Amino acid sequence: MSACQIEKKRYWSRNFCVLLLFLSFFVGFSALKSEEEVPRGIYSLEYPVYFGNRTNISKENPLTQQGVYLGRRLFYETRLSANNTISCGSCHRQELAFTDGKKLSKGVDDTFTDRNAMALVNLLWNRKFFWDGRSGSLEDQAQFPMISAHEMGQDMETSSRKLQSTAYYPPLFKAVFGDDKITGKRITFALAQFERTLISAHSRYDQYLKQQIKLSPEEMRGMTLFNTAPNPEKGIRGANCAHCHGGPKNYLELFHNNGLDSVYRDRGIGQITGQETDHGRFKIPTLRNIALTAPYMHDGRFSTLEEVIEHYSEHVKPSVALSAFLQNESNVKGSLPLKLNSVEKKELIAFLNTLTDSIFVSNPKFSNPFVTLKSR
Amino acid sequence: MKRYIIPVVPALVLLFACSTLVNAQTKPEASVKFSGEVVRPLIIGASGLQRAERVTVDRKDRDGQVHHYTGVLLSDLLARAGTTMGKELRGENLTKYVLVEASDGYQIIFTLAELDPDFTDEKIILSDQMDSKPLPLADGPFRIIVQNDKKPARCIKQVTSIKVGFAQ
Repeated sequence: MSACQIEKKRYWSRNFCVLLLFLSFFVGFSALKSEEEVPRGIYSLEYPVYFGNRTNISKENPLTQQGVYLGRRLFYETRLSANNTISCGSCHRQELAFTDGKKLSKGVDDTFTDRNAMALVNLLWNRKFFWDGRSGSLEDQAQFPMISAHEMGQDMETSSRKLQSTAYYPPLFKAVFGDDKITGKRITFALAQFERTLISAHSRYDQYLKQQIKLSPEEMRGMTLFNTAPNPEKGIRGANCAHCHGGPKNYLELFHNNGLDSVYRDRGIGQITGQETDHGRFKIPTLRNIALTAPYMHDGRFSTLEEVIEHYSEHVKPSVALSAFLQNESNVKGSLPLKLNSVEKKELIAFLNTLTDSIFVSNPKFSNPFVTLKSR
Repeated sequence: MKRYIIPVVPALVLLFACSTLVNAQTKPEASVKFSGEVVRPLIIGASGLQRAERVTVDRKDRDGQVHHYTGVLLSDLLARAGTTMGKELRGENLTKYVLVEASDGYQIIFTLAELDPDFTDEKIILSDQMDSKPLPLADGPFRIIVQNDKKPARCIKQVTSIKVGFAQ
């Protein structure tokens, strides 16, 4: 070996050592950094008094800061899907109030879901989940999209195994659950914790409820229509939206047949109960951030709020399953749908726009943490 | 000819029985489930309600007309499910509530004392008939009728579940 070769070898081995040192320092620093990053302690939920305290939190799964921290990361974790491309956040995008802007969503098998992706807004006050209300908790709900072949398409055992094999997740699970074992149950628990923090309470309507601002005359007229049941005999005009979307949360946890169809491609709750009167009965979602969550209805058939209002005003279809309150609820005596005029429709939309919460859809606490963090 | 008819008849009977069975599976009988703080959880359907002691109350509905509603006193059904009614309705049992839920998710509550005949003459029934006919589809098959509430908001329609709980 010539002197030149020896020198070259020394050069490379020296450089290799420096590189190794640098890498181990970087890995060590990253691990330390992620250890330090994890906040700990009880997570305090903040929401306005007018939302009330009828919350739905599992006694088995109280909120902790570390649980919410982990849940947020799992929410945006694509490893939870069969082809590592889809996370919960794919169909529930923050900027769209955690919807995806599509009629139906495409899963890992390139097929579409049966129903429109629901908004994840103020779930803390929900007791029944999905369009057909089949799930009673966020913990239970979370596994459905993960294991569904047409959504994330991966069983919980595989998901657990994939996360367990990373360097990133076991310490996080240890911080939340006491040991670093990753299970399907723990994944759903952490996800549920994060989802309970998705509280929207900073819209212009909230400012109005807190008496901090006044709404415009058009918005106020829209609100009056929203809250009033029509009574043509007394000359009272209304849209009666509050019957199902009333109260400060604009959510009452009701399930109705709202006259979209008289023959059902999707029977909704009727598919579960077998009762004819449950055909076409679906969950009535919150109207918080409704201007951001198009398209609308369980099958995303309406692209705009104008189309939705047009349905209630002109096109409610009679059937044996049509909910009682929509039968002959009209501004014109003897008519089935509402029969609103064009000014009233605009006023209603003006009010609905006050329910948009720009702070909610840009809050960094709810955003994808992996956009900046690559080493996991 | 007779040779062919003989096996065809039982086959037709079997086919009819199967179709009835399939029908029964796809369209289960509507019922009301009693659960929670009850000794004997109960599921009662239309036939069970018909066999119990029947009561008729009159009240005005949203249409402004007075209707005759027939059914069974809710207190009787709760007693049958083993709820603390009558002599047992005292002390901490007075902090119990009855949560009634409909198929559309609508919920209302009563306290046990509001229902117990030892406390009140108010008649609150689980009805299955209006003016001697089955309830309208959008209201039934089971509806709570509160005889004297001024507003009909607790006359909850399409009842599916009645749960007794302790106020915490």
